[in-house]
Amino acid sequence: MEAAPQFGARQLSGFKDFCQFAHGTRVIAGRDLLSSAGFEFAKEGAHRVFVVTDQVIRATGLVDKVEAGLMDGGLEVVGIFDEVPQDSSTEVCDRCAEQARAAGADAFLAVGGGSVIDTTKVADSVFTHGGSARESEGFYLMPRADDGMGAPLPIAPLAAIPTTAGTGSEVSMGAVVKDHENKVKLEIADFPLFPRLAILDPESTATLPAAIAAATGMDALTHAVEGYVSLDANPYQDGRSLVALRMIRDNLERAVEDTSDEEARGNMLIAASLAITIGLGSTHSMSHPCGARFGVPHGVANAINLPHVIRFNAGGGADIADRYRDLNEVLGLESGGSDSAVGDRLATHVEGMIERMGLPTRLSQVGVPEEGIPALADGAMGDGLTLLNPREPTEEDYVELFRRAL
Amino acid sequence: MPYFKDADEVYRFIGRLFQDLSDDEELGPKFRKADTTVQYQYRNPESQITVKMREGEEGQVDLGETDMEPEVVMTMEADTAHRFWLGKVNVTVALARGQMKAKGPVAKILKLVPLVKPVFPRYRQMLEEAGRQDLQEA
Ligand SMILES: [Fe+2]
Repeated sequence: MEAAPQFGARQLSGFKDFCQFAHGTRVIAGRDLLSSAGFEFAKEGAHRVFVVTDQVIRATGLVDKVEAGLMDGGLEVVGIFDEVPQDSSTEVCDRCAEQARAAGADAFLAVGGGSVIDTTKVADSVFTHGGSARESEGFYLMPRADDGMGAPLPIAPLAAIPTTAGTGSEVSMGAVVKDHENKVKLEIADFPLFPRLAILDPESTATLPAAIAAATGMDALTHAVEGYVSLDANPYQDGRSLVALRMIRDNLERAVEDTSDEEARGNMLIAASLAITIGLGSTHSMSHPCGARFGVPHGVANAINLPHVIRFNAGGGADIADRYRDLNEVLGLESGGSDSAVGDRLATHVEGMIERMGLPTRLSQVGVPEEGIPALADGAMGDGLTLLNPREPTEEDYVELFRRAL
Repeated sequence: MPYFKDADEVYRFIGRLFQDLSDDEELGPKFRKADTTVQYQYRNPESQITVKMREGEEGQVDLGETDMEPEVVMTMEADTAHRFWLGKVNVTVALARGQMKAKGPVAKILKLVPLVKPVFPRYRQMLEEAGRQDLQEA
């Protein structure tokens, strides 16, 4: 049997040689769930909980509510770590693990956005298995039984309460943290990193400013769009991507326009957790170096880069464009016409959303200089997700895409 | 049964390919842009190849024992490596299934994947020249 071509393969339709889908997180979504955080987390084996958050969230009073909810369920809160910065690092993860150990914790609860949740995952891994965050880097490399070939060893029970609707980290097995010393983003992915519990309650995003709701929401939209056209796409994820896109269509702009719209915020939390997948593509490959080199917030970078990648991909062949036709249908856009017309309509629609929500539309507006393009293109080429983009980009393609996004 | 009977055979083919690439005037510098040192640890048969690709430095390939300190460690069956060089392994799938395990900054390695595609025929040719048709049918 001839195996699938090794790179640049078209695998968007037909029966694939391989796909894998895992979802290891119990999700509860609804209203008034924070008060039962303890009741729910106890079911996952938590007793002595170490809460991880950041100072901004702590100042909103949300953590106090969660703490009360934990205690109400008979759990003990043995410590609160609120030192997670915007762009967390290996050093923070190590410190967090150490404090949890000193506090005698047996479970972790993350209350925050992507940075907080990812930090908690890595900290929990270091807490459970020892070593350091930097040593944990790698894919599917966490300790396993039977000489490393058997079942992955579990980490201490971990729950997440997301305070943004975007990253999806609360239901994913991936984590990204910065390694400041080496100026790189460290990626860790393995099954034990699926949180055991995610609590999606719109109360957790009540104080989220409109601009951040917009940016993180665009991250979720990018996951839905990129996940659907990724070489890694599979029917399990397809269902999630399409429903996520429909929910984003109906709720994102509503939630941004009126931040008191609880229904829209709640639906965005669900949409974000549906959209997340590790099988993405070139938009993320481009946005990662924008964040690492110029501090562009992840959602903002995705919002700016996505339309350009859509146009590029749609010109890469009928099977790619056909996937975009599905997305256009969900969004109520014309799905017929030439391949490039299909891509262009979707891209224009995305650009319209960005503008209506008041997000920046160009990289030059968020601190990316023209001289930065070669390094960004190099970074995008070196991002693993480039391998999953449906149209194989060259470094020159990335230079051109960054130029258009600038 | 594994394709290679012992470590020497791994070095004779896969090892030599790495050495050829490192010496290649066109491909060598492209690989060195990765700016890293990768160690490939193979099982069945037990063998190890360490490759230095540092920008502005000479390439270096150590077969077996080495003094070089790897930044990325890739672990796999020697068979998987062989099939990779024949162009029959999808790296992202192999990583997802744990057939290849990557320790360290994996992105640096993934960046090389698009570069190696033109190398596949070279590996095949090397096997042919060595009269190893048996290995070409992996
Ligand atoms: Fe993202």
